Amino acid sequence: MSEEKRAPTEQKKAPLPKIEPQEIESQKIENENSMVEEIKKFLGEDLIEAKVQRPRRIYLKVKPGAHRKTIQFMKDNWGLYHISTISGLDLGDNLEVVFHLNARNVAVNVRAEVPRNKPKIETITDLLPGSNLYEREVHDLFGIEFKGHPNLERLELPEDWPKGVYPLRKDWKAPE
Amino acid sequence: MVSTFKVPIGPQHPALKEPSNFTFDVEGEYVVNVTPRVGYNHRGIEKACENRTYLQDIYLIERICGICSHAHTTTFCQAVEECGGIQAPPRGIYLRTLVAELNRIHSHLLWLGVAGHEVGWDTLLMYVWRDREVVMEILEMLTGNRVNYAINTIGGVRRDITPEQARKLTKALNILEDRTKHYRNLCLGEKTLLSRAIGVGVLKPNVARSLCAVGPTLRASGIKSDVRRDDPYAAYDVTPFEVITSDMCDVAGRVVVRVDETLQSVNICRWLLENLPSGDIRTKLTRRIPPNEVVSRIEAPRGELIHFVRSNGTDKPDRVKVRAPTLGNILAVCEMLKGGYIADIPIVLAAIDPCFSCTDRMLFVDSKNDKNWIWSNEDLKRYSTKFYAKESLPGRR
Repeated sequence: MSEEKRAPTEQKKAPLPKIEPQEIESQKIENENSMVEEIKKFLGEDLIEAKVQRPRRIYLKVKPGAHRKTIQFMKDNWGLYHISTISGLDLGDNLEVVFHLNARNVAVNVRAEVPRNKPKIETITDLLPGSNLYEREVHDLFGIEFKGHPNLERLELPEDWPKGVYPLRKDWKAPE
Repeated sequence: MVSTFKVPIGPQHPALKEPSNFTFDVEGEYVVNVTPRVGYNHRGIEKACENRTYLQDIYLIERICGICSHAHTTTFCQAVEECGGIQAPPRGIYLRTLVAELNRIHSHLLWLGVAGHEVGWDTLLMYVWRDREVVMEILEMLTGNRVNYAINTIGGVRRDITPEQARKLTKALNILEDRTKHYRNLCLGEKTLLSRAIGVGVLKPNVARSLCAVGPTLRASGIKSDVRRDDPYAAYDVTPFEVITSDMCDVAGRVVVRVDETLQSVNICRWLLENLPSGDIRTKLTRRIPPNEVVSRIEAPRGELIHFVRSNGTDKPDRVKVRAPTLGNILAVCEMLKGGYIADIPIVLAAIDPCFSCTDRMLFVDSKNDKNWIWSNEDLKRYSTKFYAKESLPGRR
């Protein structure tokens, strides 16, 4: 390999700056009830339901579309950066998307319903890049379209899986 | 200008057992872009859980992963206990935690061996896996099984520990501590490993955070995050232990974090044995679980594991959602591979301790000349050993 080609490696292998272990602001456990009050005040009518199930567990139900606003609020005020996963649920007439977030060491679960015949919801990949694969997973298995996702392709199902068949919806039964 | 080649790797791999596929865009020796594709092992367990009772689901969920099987059942049992509104007795909780830590020791030692293997240092693999047998035998003694322990159940654990077993366990922990300390010194002073690990697969802290990496991968990038400390479950709210981090951000950092965590786990096991409360090991729970929903998080050997369980009043769950730590680390590993050598792909992939792998065969496609050829895992490994023997690489210690 010529010297010329090696140049980028040298750049890459430069000694790393010393990094102190980062204690994240969100490490402090806050009172969950005061967090719920804050979010109630911010969301107003967009909030359908809020409950603190036990210490470190908050469940919020927001109007469809308000989930982005909620997540932006948590990013700005609570130091949110981690999304654990996204769950899809089949409720019958509606499908439900649950964003499992983790802010200030509290697992905050934000849910929004979408109609079954028009399952569309805005992406959050621009707010939390880590949600990329989770959105693709829900899209694959529940057929929920995340508007604005950069690459909403099949992730888990095989390539020859028929289009429009979503195995985790309740009306899909495994063949005997 | 160097043309870009697409190199698909996977999904079959005989070394790490589980399949996945990555498409690498390479320029000469450098990887410039990575596209992941998972799902070759999608077995529909979430759907199958909906058609089985909670008790049957434990044994199905145990089989999600053969290495951190205990982590999955712990998460699921915790979730169902919370749904049903019961609390497992303290002795049950402590035993559950004890097996979880032994499971972590076994998983981290297994990984250390695999890491040695991926850089062509098979002696390390042989020695580490020999000593891993110590913890495997202890697990078999405590639970009756080597891999899928089946010790967790809803409301506690299924087996108690006898004083005789506790004595044997204490002896085994001493051996494990000695050997792990030996491997720590060995790995950190041995060029064979370090020359393939330092500065390889770099993941900067801010990138690790924004891509939501989990577990040792995140901690090796200098971020102090551990579900055991941040969201205590089982007996971790009272157990003393340290969260291990490293500021190296590379494969070497991930080695340090895992080896030091193994030592922490040995100490946690000792503490749990000394402070084991007396009493029952299990509370009974009704077959029908009232409607509820629960998010259960734990720190599996590979990182944060999360289960979401919704019950509907019957004896079967309405929905079980599982997110295993490897999926959380996929985006991070793609970032680590960018800018690295083709020869470093095996070790960087192995460094997140993936529950699948993919370097079995490589199909080289020369899109310009319409030629293609295939490399097996062995070819790739031979190539990487040769590549590093030939080149005295700049910037490496």
